[in-house]
Amino acid sequence: MRTAVVIPAFNESEALPGVLAELAAAVPDHAVVVIDDGSSDDTAGVAAAAGVTCLRLPFNLGIGGALRLGFRFAAEQGFERVYQFDADGQHDPSQIPILLAGLENADMVVGTRFAVGDPGDSGYRVGRGRGLAMGLLRWLVRRATGRRFTDTSSGFRALRRPVLELFATDYPVEYMDSVEALLLAVRHGFTVVEVPVRMRERQGGRPSTRNLRLAYHYVRVLIVLVAGLGRHTRLGATA
Amino acid sequence: MSDTAHLVFAVLALLALALIVRLVRLQALKAKYSVLWLTVGALLAVSAAVPGVLDWIAGKVGVAYQPALFLLLGFGFLLLLAMHFSYELSRLETRVRTLAEELTLLRQELDDKQD
Repeated sequence: MRTAVVIPAFNESEALPGVLAELAAAVPDHAVVVIDDGSSDDTAGVAAAAGVTCLRLPFNLGIGGALRLGFRFAAEQGFERVYQFDADGQHDPSQIPILLAGLENADMVVGTRFAVGDPGDSGYRVGRGRGLAMGLLRWLVRRATGRRFTDTSSGFRALRRPVLELFATDYPVEYMDSVEALLLAVRHGFTVVEVPVRMRERQGGRPSTRNLRLAYHYVRVLIVLVAGLGRHTRLGATA
Repeated sequence: MSDTAHLVFAVLALLALALIVRLVRLQALKAKYSVLWLTVGALLAVSAAVPGVLDWIAGKVGVAYQPALFLLLGFGFLLLLAMHFSYELSRLETRVRTLAEELTLLRQELDDKQD
């Protein structure tokens, strides 16, 4: 089965070489697609030096926009399975088989950092404010989708063909895309499952967003979620 | 309103009209916006030139204080316009994004061919 790994990268020339080397060692038969999201550093050069496909956006579209392009490319190139991978070294290549195994009985798999009571408990901890915010998101996603997800914002995800085609055109392009993408897939009647994975601390680069902007996007996603409450029942009836 | 004030506002309305006409002639305004702004300019000019016209309309629709009617209409118009611009901006942003995607994919194809 042809599998592609999509890596959105914005000014990640520091951490990217290590990530690409690790991927080449762990999953040599997967096609690596780096999306250079309008970087001002040498992200594209680093990708080219590693010999992987690099899609260079003319300006910064944000992570959602970069991902959509990656999905579109993968769909057009006829890949059957695609997974997202972070350019900052946060994701662990040893967890890829776990993620992909989930695709055998699901259309989309989300790697979760919070598998409580699981033997593979990641030990990933967040501060209180962020914990509260994530808790509210979890609760709203549960109300909106009727399902329980422990890690709604995880960017370690795999999907297969029907979802890939949907995401190639309709992937949410604003920041916090991961929450919206979860809703989108569930509303289209796709099976979405979570699998517990281990994650690491970021190895380079900076967090993409902080404080005020984060708060704005948080409120925006809350509005999207609240506006979508109960909508799944209607769509579910037609699916 | 005093005659002087009327004169001042009539002149301002005429200046606005002249600016709109000039922008349209320079093709700096799209036709759909030029119609809109010419209509607004004409309405302003008429209400400035004919002193009784606003009072008459206010009387007809039952508004006792004539400036309130003017402000209400103006505010409603600007609100609609702002909403329209937001709509257009959203549409443009979607298109620009799609174009950026297309451009990137085309550049990739070209690079592949040259290798």
